Amino acid sequence: MAETVAPAAGVSQDTGSAVRRGRRPRSTRDFRSTPLGWLYSAPAVLVFAGFVIVPTFYTFYVSLWHWNVLNPAMSTYKGLGNYRDLLTDVDPTFAQTLANSLYFTVGMIVFGTGASLGLALLLMRGGKAMGAARVMIYLPHATPLIATSIIWVWIFNPQFGFANYLLHLLHLPALQWTQSQSTAMPSVILFSVWHEVGFTTLVFLGGLAVISEETGEAARVDGCGPWREFWYVTWPQLRPVTTFIVVITSITSLQAFTQFYQLTSGGGPNNATTTLSYLVYKEGIVLGDTGYGAALAVVLFLITVLFTLVRRRTAVGGGGLTA
Amino acid sequence: MSSSTLQDAPSPGHKPGDGAPSRRGGRTAGAWSGWTLVRKTVAVLLGLAFVFPFYWTFVISTARPGGFYRFPPQLIPSWNWSNWARAWDEAPWVRFFLNTLFIASATVLLCLVTSVLAGFAFGVLRFRGRNFLMLLVLSVLMMPGTVLIIPDYVLATDIHWVDTYWIQIVPWGASVFGVFLVRQFFVTMPQEILDAASVDGAGRLRVLWHIGVPAVRPALALIAINVFMASWNSFLWPEIMTNTTDVQPVEVGLSAFSSDVGTDIPGLAAAATFTTLPLIVFFLLLQRHFIRGALSAAGSVK
Repeated sequence: MAETVAPAAGVSQDTGSAVRRGRRPRSTRDFRSTPLGWLYSAPAVLVFAGFVIVPTFYTFYVSLWHWNVLNPAMSTYKGLGNYRDLLTDVDPTFAQTLANSLYFTVGMIVFGTGASLGLALLLMRGGKAMGAARVMIYLPHATPLIATSIIWVWIFNPQFGFANYLLHLLHLPALQWTQSQSTAMPSVILFSVWHEVGFTTLVFLGGLAVISEETGEAARVDGCGPWREFWYVTWPQLRPVTTFIVVITSITSLQAFTQFYQLTSGGGPNNATTTLSYLVYKEGIVLGDTGYGAALAVVLFLITVLFTLVRRRTAVGGGGLTA
Repeated sequence: MSSSTLQDAPSPGHKPGDGAPSRRGGRTAGAWSGWTLVRKTVAVLLGLAFVFPFYWTFVISTARPGGFYRFPPQLIPSWNWSNWARAWDEAPWVRFFLNTLFIASATVLLCLVTSVLAGFAFGVLRFRGRNFLMLLVLSVLMMPGTVLIIPDYVLATDIHWVDTYWIQIVPWGASVFGVFLVRQFFVTMPQEILDAASVDGAGRLRVLWHIGVPAVRPALALIAINVFMASWNSFLWPEIMTNTTDVQPVEVGLSAFSSDVGTDIPGLAAAATFTTLPLIVFFLLLQRHFIRGALSAAGSVK
């Protein structure tokens, strides 16, 4: 790396006099202003450009072809043909896949955010016991999706699983969980809430910790009950954090893949859990129809951008996660 | 990361409510501590419910033959370790573990280097095109991983990186989160420190190494933990990009094992346990950092 090392030796002794004479050859301005900034940012920028930014645009290009993986030179141009195929694909239909993705995403937003807010309020104050509970609730998030999905396959087992044992103890009828069309997606959502909620709970706790105590106190002095205090004092101050959690949850849920792969072998009964993300993998990689997979990926990309832009518009308090 | 997130983020030990006896309001102290006891009990019970699946997996992993196939399910371990021995012998777990460790460590190292350099450039240096580059890096947040598997698979095939360590390390060797976390540390640190050193005639790389890196160390710890966990937990990418056990990480190995193993549920439970145990230990040792990282995520939206 071509680093310009300071002007020779002896600089340190006479810095003071140099400054006094108004001759600041190596001023802090020189130190900071340098086109070498490109060089310093290059490693990160190159990784992003090479594996994220350029490939994203490349996806658009690939989606216009009947792509030949083994020999790309043999690919044939299809124009928007792959996108037309989206509308005529039947098993599962594109609309059903899209609906499944949104079902999962909305389910995660509603139940994930709701559960983590409730848990955060429960764990808000307190000493060792609450600290231990936080660690236990966070633990699933720190463990891999593959291993935990395998575990939940057994929990959801209709004959021998723990979920139905619980229902049995409560004198409720047994469910088919991941093996029936109507309960497959709720089962995956239940698993995912269990896996993710530790993180979002802590984000809420972080938000609760910085809410000013005085306003709550003032409300209590004025005779506010806990519910009114939450609704009129705490909740409005939590809005930016909630927006952040909703956006993060929606983007990760749109991307979710592993739990579908392992828990419902991708499709689930009658494709009840075939999501857009899974279909990109299945069509583009497993079945080798790269061009068609790319078209699906483009749709997924556009939906993600939409969610990100919504965040931009709603993120209060200066730019959300970003700058 | 819009504000000084980490330094003033509430640590788990910091309990805002503790110093606020006013919470008692009009209630008697007795009623208040009773209510606290109920809340604590509910919290701990919920916590136990969250870790129960891990416990139950351990129970199944030491069950006697056919242990899983019974109703009501077994809830107390039978301490039959033969399942562990059998599962351990049926797949190259040591190889998988070493692969995962190598891939995760190399990715962490690369991410630290790229984050420090770019964070320094974006936070300290002034140059034409800086804002453009920062926007470019931020735009990466909008480009989701699932979209990338198709073009990156084509690319990996092209440059003959399929089924190598390279494809599992280099594409993940930079982190937007990392770059901006380091930048944030540089922006919020006392500027005179860097300037003073530079006036003394030290080159930029020296200033960065001797003064910058120690100053951003808390950010580096957080980046290292995040990247390490993300690398260990990743599945879709290595599942697509690799096809031999020589380079596959442990989660891909576990997934393959789960489809090969058939009805040997105790064996699979043993494998799920011993592949997850290192992470659980890692998490428990560093839980303070994990929890502080998540707590501070809220600070960034404030």
